[in-house]
Amino acid sequence: MPSNGSSSGAAVWAILRKECRSEWRTRYGLNAALLFAVTTLTSVSFAVGRLTDRTDLLGALLWVVLLFAALSSLSHAFVREVEGHTLTLLRLVASPTAIALGKLLFNLVFLAVIEAVTVPLYLALMGAPPPKWGAFLALLGLGSLALAGSATLIGAVISQTRGRGALFAGVSLPLMLPVLAAAVSGTRAQWAGGAIGAEVRLLAAYSAALLAASLLLYDHLWED
Amino acid sequence: MSAALAPAGRVATVTLEAHDLAHRYGRRTGLEPVSFALAAPGVVAVTGANGSGKSTLLRVIAGLLRPSHGRLALAVEGRAVPDARRREWVGFATPELSFYDELSVAENLRFAGEARGLEGVDAAAAAALARVGLESRAHDRVPALSSGMKQRLRIAFALLLKPPVLLLDEPGSHLDDEGRATVARLVDQERPTSLVVIATNDEREWRLAEQRIELRGRGLGHPA
Repeated sequence: MPSNGSSSGAAVWAILRKECRSEWRTRYGLNAALLFAVTTLTSVSFAVGRLTDRTDLLGALLWVVLLFAALSSLSHAFVREVEGHTLTLLRLVASPTAIALGKLLFNLVFLAVIEAVTVPLYLALMGAPPPKWGAFLALLGLGSLALAGSATLIGAVISQTRGRGALFAGVSLPLMLPVLAAAVSGTRAQWAGGAIGAEVRLLAAYSAALLAASLLLYDHLWED
Repeated sequence: MSAALAPAGRVATVTLEAHDLAHRYGRRTGLEPVSFALAAPGVVAVTGANGSGKSTLLRVIAGLLRPSHGRLALAVEGRAVPDARRREWVGFATPELSFYDELSVAENLRFAGEARGLEGVDAAAAAALARVGLESRAHDRVPALSSGMKQRLRIAFALLLKPPVLLLDEPGSHLDDEGRATVARLVDQERPTSLVVIATNDEREWRLAEQRIELRGRGLGHPA
């Protein structure tokens, strides 16, 4: 029977729960991203040692690790549907917008888990000075939202292409570079005691623009 | 071509009309122009040679494909249903429907019900599985099912939301004699309340219908 007015919210919530359950049972994406993040972090730590006085480098290295951990796994949310031939099922039970929002929320949760492991480890291994937690968490949150928004949008677009792995990295990088630049600059500034207002506004505006573009685009995806 | 199914002695609450409906996959013909007017309740068979567009027609009705030409109109209680919301009124079982390997049989149905905002989803999933004789496999993961059981699960998925329009694409594929008898029984159960559309070339299936739409297209791949 037709869904009621709350169907979109129900669909988003159901998709988020399904994604979390599937990921928890297989842990393909989570294990790959965590392994990548921890390996990279350990390698950087061995290579350059503790960077307590180099807050300019600390911000850059942190976001490079997070960016590539995200790139290694965030496209899976859509690619998994295509490779498992489950996209038809998904399209029959939810609108494209609800599917995309469910996937976006899952990617945000996924990034939060990666960051919950990676960031404390990074701060400890690199000997980073204590961050200004309010500013630091705001940058992490907005940076993650922008990364997840870009990855979800690109993942949806490239999911039915043949060379999706290479395409995802190639198409994502230019779209994520402004996020990387603003997040690195803001993270550096909060360690140096500077203002981060411009970076926060840029990340928020970028995330909002991505979300708006996505909502306009998703209804036209997957049409043969 | 045209077909009409008028319920005797009852006012139809669901009507499905196609006018010059056609679809192309790029340069290839998927469905040559077809027109019909159907109304619930009743059972209609769609027959035609391989590649004549039976599955394409059902995908268009289900809202998974936007037709290249012509118009399809579904009305419920006299109100036109927007194309983007047509799937909410349709149950669709098709061989291309796959389920999530990481979830159990019941979890797959529960996810579908939750995404569509169905209340009492556990009971509805159990009832749908019982109707196709799959209740004893409710807690098995999907990869543990045989191809015939997966086909039963597809039919249970289509029945889950008690849709007023039930689309069955090759419903007897992979089924044994008992499974085919189950399909015949289900179609008889739905006949008084729903519009059932069966795409098939199997005489045992199209004989279940009171009306028949024969697609005479030259088939998929014809460049004309």
